[in-house]
Amino acid sequence: MHLYTRSKGPFLAALAPAVIVYTLFAIIPIFVSFYYSLVEWNGFTDMKFVGLANFAEAFGDKIFWHSFVNNLYVVAASVFGQVPIALFFALLLNRKLKGSKFFRTVGFLPVVISTVVVSLVWGMIFNVRRGLINQLLSAVGLEELRQNWLGDPKLAMIAVCITIIWQFIGLYLIIFLAALQNIPGEIDDAARIDGATGLKQTIHITLPMIRDTLVVAVILCISGSLRTFDLIYVMTSGGPGHATEVLATYMFDKTFSSTRYGYGSAISVCIFFFSLALIGLSNLLLRRRAF
Amino acid sequence: MAAQSADARNRAARKRKLAWRTFVYLVLILYAAINVYPIIWMALNSFKTNAEFSRNPFGLPKTFHLDNYRIAWETARLEVYFFNSLFVAVAAVILTVLFGALAAFVFARFPFKWGNGVYWYFVLGMLIPIHATLVPMFIQERELGLLNTYAGIILPYIAFNLPVTVFILTSFMKSFSKDIEESAVMDGCGVFRVFWKIILPMSGPALATVVILNFINNWNEFSFALVLINEESLKTLPLGLANFSGQFTTNYGAQMAGLTLAILPVIIIYLFLEKYVVKGMTAGAVKG
Repeated sequence: MHLYTRSKGPFLAALAPAVIVYTLFAIIPIFVSFYYSLVEWNGFTDMKFVGLANFAEAFGDKIFWHSFVNNLYVVAASVFGQVPIALFFALLLNRKLKGSKFFRTVGFLPVVISTVVVSLVWGMIFNVRRGLINQLLSAVGLEELRQNWLGDPKLAMIAVCITIIWQFIGLYLIIFLAALQNIPGEIDDAARIDGATGLKQTIHITLPMIRDTLVVAVILCISGSLRTFDLIYVMTSGGPGHATEVLATYMFDKTFSSTRYGYGSAISVCIFFFSLALIGLSNLLLRRRAF
Repeated sequence: MAAQSADARNRAARKRKLAWRTFVYLVLILYAAINVYPIIWMALNSFKTNAEFSRNPFGLPKTFHLDNYRIAWETARLEVYFFNSLFVAVAAVILTVLFGALAAFVFARFPFKWGNGVYWYFVLGMLIPIHATLVPMFIQERELGLLNTYAGIILPYIAFNLPVTVFILTSFMKSFSKDIEESAVMDGCGVFRVFWKIILPMSGPALATVVILNFINNWNEFSFALVLINEESLKTLPLGLANFSGQFTTNYGAQMAGLTLAILPVIIIYLFLEKYVVKGMTAGAVKG
């Protein structure tokens, strides 16, 4: 359209505020963090350029790898917990069903609640003495199954993963429902005429139709899980010991508690590249595999 | 004979269908319960004294006693946190949506040479993990004197919400017809007048979506607030609540009261504007 081409001035003016704020507060910090990852610095005295030493240290750091593995647990919990559960309920709700709107509303509710509140509420639910879960166990006479959910290094990560799964099922539920509702009705009809019903129809017709959405969901799970921070920081601060430490909490701890800005930045850069790599990898694998 | 057996078969089929329906509803009700019960548990127990909570953790409170709310409100400075959250969220929403809409308007309506490039420059920003920027952001704001200021937290909120805002608004503005603006421009309407009088009003539904998405994102944000705000009087609700719970780990009632108050606005927005909330938050997640 050459309607507006008389002068460029107003358009540049319209674009400027967004470009300036975005560049200064989102793009530049990323590049600066690449730079910081190459220095040794406590935030106040002079920086010392150390090349890749921070990365070398990180790769030899047991807690770094332990945090990375915990990140992978979170990824696994999301991919194998959130996605199948959400898909199951999306398939159940994708039919004429009285009250399906109610279930959608309720299903999405946890997604809108602040992660801080979610972690505090679930922190109380998992509390040893007065938490919901232990009280429920006592109430049904399973006293001996009571656990110190967040205090036991073996269980803490499980408790964290349950919370994460709970928080985001609704998001995928809605994404899947939207995709299912986009499948044209004729395809269902054709399938029925050909004798594909129920489970058969779901596996051979419905799921392949929403494949792209499933791929997107898995990628979302991965990128979201690698960024997990708020929830663990508030629920356990990475503890007990480092049992629930993930890369972002470890980065935070190294930077702001140990004031090792360079090392913390190196971990941030690793988070950045790990997430790119995992997303790329899953993209590659999932697009190839046929259901 | 034949008719009879057909009838029986029909009845059996109907029975099976009923059984299946019942099963589906049972599963769905269980799912709904798991979703809302933690919140209901919290809300109900926020009205109980500590003693009653120990005795009766599941049931309704005997009396709805508001002491916990008073304690939470007075000791946690909730009113300060509420005000800060509201102020920061609203200011950031207004600026993000204004800046984003202006940019989207350019991308949707002005085909200049590097327009597409600038558009992708924004949209790819959705891939930036914010935790990778916490350290440099902290240093940058320290240098600029922005730590512990409203601006210091509003600016990153704008920057990190612009990509999804630009994305949603651009695709919406591209979709509607250009006839009206064309005649307005013919009549000598300037670019900004066209924006205010025509583009913005026509973008209503998309604006509602991004306003709500931005508001919820900002209202719930924690990491930047944690790093950039230290001063008690500037803390936002998530930050304040996280601290508050640290201090009151033994007083469950007050903690639950504080949390219940904190999620109330978002739940109300959600229940009344569900369509926009869901649309915004899924678009924000899927990003095309």
